[in-house]
Amino acid sequence: MKKLLCLIFLFMASCASFGQGGNPSQSESSNFTLEFPEEWRKLTKGKYLMITRDGAFSQYILVQQRHVDRPFSHTKKKINKGMLPQEAAEVIMDEITSDRAILNFQVLENRPAAVNGYNGFRLLFTYKTKGGYKFKTLYYGFVQGDWFYSLRYNAADGRYCDKDVETFREVLESFKIMASRSA
Amino acid sequence: MRMKRIRYFPLLLIICFFVGSCSTTPPPSPEADPNVAEDEKRLWQRAAEEQALLESSGVIYRDQALEEYLHQIANNLQPLEVREKFNFRIRLIKDPFLNAFAFPNGVIYLHTGILSRLDNEAQLAALLAHEMTHCTHRHALRAFRGLKNQNSLILSLKQTVARIASTGDLLDLFGTTASMAAINGYAQHFETEADMVGLKLMAKAGYEPSEALRLFEHLKQELEAENLKEPFFFATHPQLQKRIENCKGFLDKLKRPEAQGIKNREVFLDRIQQVLLYNASLDLKAGRFRSARRGAEKYLTIRKDDPRAYFLVGEILRQRGELEDEMRAKNFYEQAIALDPSYPDPHKAIGLIYFKEGAWMLAKQSFESSLALSPHMQDRAYIQGYLQECTKKGIAP
Repeated sequence: MKKLLCLIFLFMASCASFGQGGNPSQSESSNFTLEFPEEWRKLTKGKYLMITRDGAFSQYILVQQRHVDRPFSHTKKKINKGMLPQEAAEVIMDEITSDRAILNFQVLENRPAAVNGYNGFRLLFTYKTKGGYKFKTLYYGFVQGDWFYSLRYNAADGRYCDKDVETFREVLESFKIMASRSA
Repeated sequence: MRMKRIRYFPLLLIICFFVGSCSTTPPPSPEADPNVAEDEKRLWQRAAEEQALLESSGVIYRDQALEEYLHQIANNLQPLEVREKFNFRIRLIKDPFLNAFAFPNGVIYLHTGILSRLDNEAQLAALLAHEMTHCTHRHALRAFRGLKNQNSLILSLKQTVARIASTGDLLDLFGTTASMAAINGYAQHFETEADMVGLKLMAKAGYEPSEALRLFEHLKQELEAENLKEPFFFATHPQLQKRIENCKGFLDKLKRPEAQGIKNREVFLDRIQQVLLYNASLDLKAGRFRSARRGAEKYLTIRKDDPRAYFLVGEILRQRGELEDEMRAKNFYEQAIALDPSYPDPHKAIGLIYFKEGAWMLAKQSFESSLALSPHMQDRAYIQGYLQECTKKGIAP
């Protein structure tokens, strides 16, 4: 039932977002901008932005901005301003592995990476949900001032593809923090 | 009416986890008794289905020798005729939180967190005897049949679940029914009975019954440390303090031999040692630094020669990052290296501390050692980046 509700929510969100495709995207409550292709549709906005081409269960790109003081849901660890990117990546992995709904979490890649000049980390990982669905995620994160930014491309295991990774790369390259509203 | 029973049947399963009945003679299991009602048979079937899901979820901690040991303790607690009716099996779940629950068919799940916290075999016996009593006394089935207003119960249980943040994940993993069972508040007398019968069982098997009180103390400490108002195992009513008082009352009335009962601390710790280390790493991931350190140091009391444990304590301190933690962490890393110079992880961790301190040459040496020992480590790209920076900053005027 819960799964069905989630599906309905995501379907409705997809439907409601028609007409919102294209770039650039800038939200009132976040301090970043980015661009994405016309065929991708915006599902949500605010402190996070989700876009998808075929629906969130197939694939999505999610961009989030969170204050470093904001606690995570599953680990008590925090990201702090003085952390190395590797340490921040570890907190993110611990947050995911401490989530009981995430099963068979496997890190395929963990290395330093920059998002349009902001030094951070890059993770590539796979996981399963309780329902047996497999997903693959390419995750970039970095700390800038008091904020932790994350950008991820997530797709059902069979739907993860080079074309979407290329779109994600374009999103990463277009990502900008608005100086006047940062920190 | 039949449809209504079927509709609410999953609820039976939940309640099974923590509830109880008044009978003192264990009833026959559904499979052994052709006269057992359909609902109980379905209950067992449903339990088997949920267990299959758990077993394939990747959350089961697998250690055959340890399971055999747990099974042996469980068998010591029950007479043969009960063991023939209930094929008790004890399974471990990779979870640092203190919890345990029993399915009606005799399969008992212990979190690695609760097993790690116990001090000896007598406390384990107390825990197992309590859970086994839920099975043998068909608590779930009796509770379900006794419900007058099942709709209200479901609503109430859902509200209870929603109030407890730490149960949210369990809802996803174990299913709504199971999760609600673990925290339902409809069976004070069932819990009391499980405590009482459990105490008798452990005493009869020769264990020191007063150790059951220590089990409750561990739970109380966890409750306070995590600032939980209604955690599952101990919130299954009566409230923990009430259960402690009940337990003291039972102990006073219990006919006990003059000699102290079995505790078996050494044997117990020897058997669970790998769980201790594993669970401490889970605690660390969850950011439960105090629990993680307690577990790792407990392991070190058994295995003083294991470099992994020294490294883990070092990690706990480094990641906690309180005053002087990094200095203390370095000491533990150095002990790990002294025990096993070919162990790459402590070299890398010391390198990180030096790197953040700006001690470029020392950081460089440590990073180079770690890379030499493990050229294909997954995070080598970070190490290579640190090395470049160390070289650049180390030679700068």
